[in-house]
This record gives sequence, structure tokens and C-alpha cells, in this order.
Amino acid sequence: MTGPVVIIEPSPDTPLVWFDIAIRGGAAADPRGVEGLHRHAALLARRGAGRRDRAELDETLDNLGAALEVGISRDALSLSGLALSRHLDAVIDLAADILADPRFDEAEHARLLRETPQVLDEIRDDDSALATRWFDWLCCPGHAYGRTSLGTEGSLARIERSAAIDLWRREVVADNLVIGLAGDVDEPTAARIVARLVARLPAGARPASTTMYEPAVAGPIATPVTPGRRVILVDKSDRTQAQLRVGHLSIRYGDDDTAALAIGEAVLGGMFSSRLMQEIRVKRGWSYGAGCALRRSRLPHWFEVWMAAGIEVAGPAIALTLELLADYAANGPTDDEVDFARDYLVGSMPFHVATARQRMQLAVRDAVFDLPPDYTAKLPVALAALTPADVRAACARCLSPASAVIVAVTTAEQAQASLEAAGAGTLTVVDHDEY
Amino acid sequence: MTQSWQLEAEAAVGRGVTARRFRLGNGLGLITAIDRRSPIVALQTWYRVGSRHERLGATGMAHLFEHLMFGQTQSLPPGEFDRLVERTGGESNAATWVDWTYYRLSLPARDLALGVKLEAERMQHLVLEHTPVESERDVVTNERRERVEDDVDGWLDEQLMAQAFTTHPYRWPTIGWMEDIRALSLPDIRAFYRTWYAPNSATIVCCGDFEEAALLDLVALHYGAIEPGVLPSDVGRIVEPEQTRERIVRAPKPIATDRLLVGYKAPGQDEADWAVLEIVATLLAGCPSARLYRRLVIEGEVASSVDAQLTPFRDPSLLRLAVTAARGHGADEILGIIDQELAAMAEKPPQKAEVEKAKALAETDFWTSLVDLDGKAEALGHYETALGDFRKVNTLAERLAAVTVEDVARVVRSYLRAERRTIVIATPEDGDDDEDDDDDEDDDTSGDDAAAAGRGGVA
Repeated sequence: MTGPVVIIEPSPDTPLVWFDIAIRGGAAADPRGVEGLHRHAALLARRGAGRRDRAELDETLDNLGAALEVGISRDALSLSGLALSRHLDAVIDLAADILADPRFDEAEHARLLRETPQVLDEIRDDDSALATRWFDWLCCPGHAYGRTSLGTEGSLARIERSAAIDLWRREVVADNLVIGLAGDVDEPTAARIVARLVARLPAGARPASTTMYEPAVAGPIATPVTPGRRVILVDKSDRTQAQLRVGHLSIRYGDDDTAALAIGEAVLGGMFSSRLMQEIRVKRGWSYGAGCALRRSRLPHWFEVWMAAGIEVAGPAIALTLELLADYAANGPTDDEVDFARDYLVGSMPFHVATARQRMQLAVRDAVFDLPPDYTAKLPVALAALTPADVRAACARCLSPASAVIVAVTTAEQAQASLEAAGAGTLTVVDHDEY
Repeated sequence: MTQSWQLEAEAAVGRGVTARRFRLGNGLGLITAIDRRSPIVALQTWYRVGSRHERLGATGMAHLFEHLMFGQTQSLPPGEFDRLVERTGGESNAATWVDWTYYRLSLPARDLALGVKLEAERMQHLVLEHTPVESERDVVTNERRERVEDDVDGWLDEQLMAQAFTTHPYRWPTIGWMEDIRALSLPDIRAFYRTWYAPNSATIVCCGDFEEAALLDLVALHYGAIEPGVLPSDVGRIVEPEQTRERIVRAPKPIATDRLLVGYKAPGQDEADWAVLEIVATLLAGCPSARLYRRLVIEGEVASSVDAQLTPFRDPSLLRLAVTAARGHGADEILGIIDQELAAMAEKPPQKAEVEKAKALAETDFWTSLVDLDGKAEALGHYETALGDFRKVNTLAERLAAVTVEDVARVVRSYLRAERRTIVIATPEDGDDDEDDDDDEDDDTSGDDAAAAGRGGVA
């Protein structure tokens, strides 16, 4: 047993302490066909632990002015806490109960299974969230990150309470945790707290890492094995805009090209003066915003462009985006653009590490990605060493517009002809509540 | 014209940080708060102009400036403002709400002088010509589509304020009505700029790593020669008539289940009962053990979410309850449960421990708001601009701490009554699609957008 990775960022400027406990695994490790299991297990663990049922746990936390919340990402589950420092010990006791002794109450299990489909409803009501859900599903069929962390109506029906308990016992072991503490806590106190958090956890090795590809799970539309450009129009009535996503599989955060692609991303769509923002918003007024980013994850993830274009210009906006993306992949940024973006990224780093909580959260994230906890904080060193040619080469390697998947949440009656005319690829229309 | 500073007020804001307000002879306010934990600064310029200062037919004007102010000035070509800020690694953004507009620069400490120079330049020398105005008008219409037309929550917000207020300017949305945004004329836009973008309409807030004396010199250098403007008097002193009947609006939307937004008339943020209602909002739906959350979401499973929010406006506004119905349940059933819970709270005061719980959560919220520089500057700027004194950030915390169980029962009885509320319900399109406005005193089309409208995009 090696114990958890521990990150401590003391800062006495407010009487608050934040802690993040990351449990490596996450939604990408859900069993095939049982998508949503990790989320279900974590939420259920938070609904009663030790001698307290859900109501008693909530009441105790609220009385302390504290919060304990569960987070679900593709790479990890998390239990995040906030406490007034005078109540830290009491809140840590509750967190330790959730980690070591969750009740997995039968009634709460059934209630959560009734609640989760309604979260799906909320996503379907929100065009941006809906576009992201469809894009994640279709961007790279078979990829672990294509699995929905929330689940589907079908996969939720297959979640068993016993599976949630088994998952918790297997994954909530000291070696599999990354624990971060920040705020009004000194290092000796933090060390004592970490010891209490893991004291009652079962022995066990860190589970094997998530497999990146598995055969795609059957979904509402056919998902081709070989990547190729295509358009999915998610039909929803009465839209005045099209929520657009354009992207493809790219690299992992921590790949050798990470720093170079960060510059490439900033030039294309990571700043207000970026190409996408200038061409889509400033010159044409087609969308309130337009940007792009590589999703930061442990495994290779999507490079994604987003915008919400007026429905009357949805097709032209897609055509222009693909044209910009193709030119950028082929030619990359200019020397001046690289210098500008590098200055921006290096200069912006102090804003990302200004507070103890920010520094702790970045370090926890890097550790979950199996990177050194100071990987992101030290990126400016790597950025400084790059030449414009390095950035152009990385863009050529990491961007593949020919295999881009396009998702548009909009009203088919008004937008379909325009999207077809964009010549972006084979167009498929689906109902917005099919997935 | 060099002018000297006058120190007007100072107070601690958090551990080890003191905020001080200075004023120049031309009326410009400057609040400083030195915090050297990181080599950065938050430089915010708050203008005492929001959507309440607009007129019907020209709504959205204040928010349009949130876009235009990043454009060309006499010495900066189009796009140069953003490029200068981004070259430093900094970020810029802005927000408009009912009582104020503010512009935010987050900069490395070494670039504070650049920020002061840029803000002074756009306060005086913004170029307002046809082409850039039309371009930003298109952007704003798309922003409105994204936040209101295609967003059911944005629509609910807008309708709630439009129906709840019949007279006060809070009744129209901060982003403006679409037809007004499209019709704002260039002469009116220029006149609005000349009126409100003046030193005596502004307070600069600077938090972070800087030398105060050097900042005072710098701001005096760039702003000292600017003549004060002639600000409209008595603006926004409109009193909303007391509401005496419940108002209800229903409309079909492409959603899965009913969504319900209820607004009870509430006092302005500076009034004594505002703090009590803030505690009430927490007790109703501000935490996992809150009464309505437990009853609606956990025990009854009639709602999938419930939220309570008391708007921090200068004039009387609303305590809002937002609820999303669970599958198989509807807005009317939820309204019945809300009424039961409010009646119970009015009839029998909560236990002291329950009120102490809300106070503990308020204490955590207070400290959380002061953690980062931007948050601290926003708190100082809001209280100074909306309520006239940044020190009220502390007095609000004291008011919250002083709330009693009797206060809670009293304000529930006084404010949270059916005749003082407005209800907006969005129903699934394939369900009940009858539009029903049962209040014939509300037949105009104005409303208010409670969501601060940011610049968005990469921010």
C-alpha cells in the first residue's frame, strides 16, 4: 500500500477550508451497458453514511454551514467539501463516513433511479447541454469518453444496488485516492486529517486503468466504426438558433503536444481576439460567442469547436468553421499569432493559481491524469521553449477536420436545407429526446 | 487640471485587507483594497447606470454599451483594446444589471497602468459609428436568442418581471426587448454615452498587489482633467404600486415537465427586512435540508429541483422560487405545497436552531465571496454603486447575524402572501397549451432580466 496522493495548500486569508477527494476511475470506467453506475454509486454514498441517514447527514452539514458535494467526471469521482475552519474536524468526520461506511440505503437507491431520468429531461430542455450530450456520444464511437456519465433510460434500468456497493469497495481504497486540502489549515493538521480520511478504508490496490476503446454500445443511430465527417441535426421545435459542436478525437492532456496545442487552441478559439471569435462574432455577428478547446482528460479526448449561430446562418456558420479548421490544420498559426498567444498563456497563469483553492484543484486534477501535480503550473516553461514551427507541426498532427463530427441542435424545418447546403457531410436528423 | 484626492471612508473587508474610498474633485470614486497574495490586480469600473435608467422603446441601451465599450476609441483602432489586454495575459469582461454596469479587467500587477489608461480612454473617447454599432447589435440579438428565446429559464425570468412590475423600470429586461434592440438609434446611443460615461457616474475598484499612492497618482493623471457630467436627477425614483392580486401567466414551451417561477414582492436590499428574507430563502430552498427542498424533491418527489433567490436590487424587488416539476406532477400541485409550507412557517416560527443553520450558511457565503480578487472587487463595487457605500458588505453580514425566529415568522406573514405574488408557468407543448393571463391590469409587454448579462464568449 502506497497511500493516497496528498496535496496541501495552506492559506489563512479566510476562515475556510476546501477539500477535494478524487477517486480515480470515473464514468469512463462504467461497465458497458450500465452507463451511469459510477454516478449512481457516488450520489448514493452521499445519501447516508455511518450512523446518519440522508436527512441527518444533510441537517448536520447545514448546521455547520458546510457543504459536501459529489462530482462525476470521465476520469474520477470526487467528494468536495467546504467548511468553516472551526468546524473542519466535524465535517471531515462526515466525509470519512461517506468514504468508509456509506449506507447504500435501499430506498435511496430506488429514489435515485427514479430521479436520474429527470436529469435527462433537464438536459433535453437545455440546448447547449443537449448538443454536448449528443456530440459526446457520436464524436468517436467506442471511445470510453463517449459513454454518458449520466446514463440512458436503458442503462439506468440495469443498475443494481449491489453493483454500486461492489464498485465503492473496489475503488474507494487509499491507493486510489488523490486528496487535496486548501485554505485555513496548516500542514500538521492537514496530515492528521488525511490520516483520518483513509483510516477505515479497506486495503486494496488501485484498480486497472480504464480501457480507451470498447465496441460501441447500441444507440439511437448507427455509429460508424471508421471516422468520417458527418452531420447530426438534433431536431427541436421553435428554435431561433442552432447550438453547434464541431470536433474530433485528438490528444490526451499531458501528451508531448499539449503545450503546443494549447497555443494552437488559443489562436484558433481561446481568446477574444482568436480567429473563430473574430470571423464568427466580430465580422459577421452570427453568434454571441465562438470558441474551441481540447477537453482536458487522462485519455485522448475531443478537440471541439462550439457556437450558437442564428438559425438562418447555421449552414454558413458550419461551412466557415470547417474552412477555418481545414486551413488551420494545414497551415497553422502565423509567427506573430504564436508569439501573441504564448504571451497570453504565460501571462494568464498567475490567474489560474492565484488562490490556494485554485492551486489545490489544479494539482488534484493533474494527479488524476497521472501527471506530476505541478504539471499545469509549469506549462509556461514548456510554452517558452516552443517555436512557431513546433506549434504548426502540432496543429497538423492533432487537428483532423476531415473526420470532424458536427452536431446541431435546432429546428429541422428551418435549418435542414441550410445545413445540407454547407456540404459538411452526410446529414442525419434525430429527435431531440431520442438520447 | 490636476485634482487632489479626498479619503472618505475605510473598513476591513476580510482578514488583513482594508478597503478605502477616495474621491477626486470631478466626482470620480476610487476604492482600493491591497492584497499581495498573488502578483495580479482586479481593476473594475462601476457606472451608476443600469437598465432602470432606460426608457420604454429604448430598452437594452445600457447593456448594448457593455459590448460597444470594447470597440474603437480615438486612440485605439478596432480590436486593439482586447489585444492589449490579452497580450498581458489578462482578461476583460463586463456585466449589466438593473442598477449598474461594470467593466472588469484582470491584469498582471505590472500592467495596472495600462488598465487605468485604457479605462480612462474609453470613458472619454469611445467612437460610436454606424458599422461597429450594427455589428454589435447583431451580436446582442444573438445573445438574446441564446439566453431568452431559446432558453426556457430566461423566458420565465423575463415574464416574471414583466408581470410583477407595472410601473417600475425593473419590468423590462436588462438585455432589452428584441424590437427595441433593433431600433436603438445612433443619436440616442451617443446621447446615452455622453450622459452616463462621466467621472461623477463612476467608481473605480482596485484590489490586489499595488502601491496605493502610485495608483492615486496614476488615476488622477488619467482622469483628473475630465469634466463631470450632468447626470439626470431623480432617475429611478419611480415607486411600484402595491400589488393586491395574484398574477398568473402560463405558456407552452418545448420542455419535458412544467417549470414554475414564483415571485413575491420583497423590499430593496438596503431595507431591514431584506436580510430576514435572505434567511427565509435559505430555510425554504437554500440547502439540502431546506423545507421546500425536502418536501418537494426528497419526500414528495413532485419536483426535480427547487431554488430560492432574493434579488439584490436597490428598490423593492422579488423573492423568487424556481421549481421544475417531476414527471407526472404539475405546477398546481407544487403551488399547493408551497402554500402549505409558507402557511406553516407563518403560523409557527421556526426553531432557533433552524435559523442558526441559515446564519451559518450565510457566514460561509460571506467569506466565500471575499476569497478571490474579482469576487472581492465585485462585492465592493455592488454595495458602493447599488447601495451607496461599500461598507455595507460588512453591515449586511451583521444584519444577517441579528435575524431572530420572530423576524422570520413576521416577514413570511408580511411578504409571502398570495396577493403579493406573480406566477409564471411553462408547460410542455403537448400538454395544456392555453395561454392564461388572469390579471387584466397587466397588458403591456415589459419585463426584466434578472440574469446579469456578461460579455461571454471566451470569458
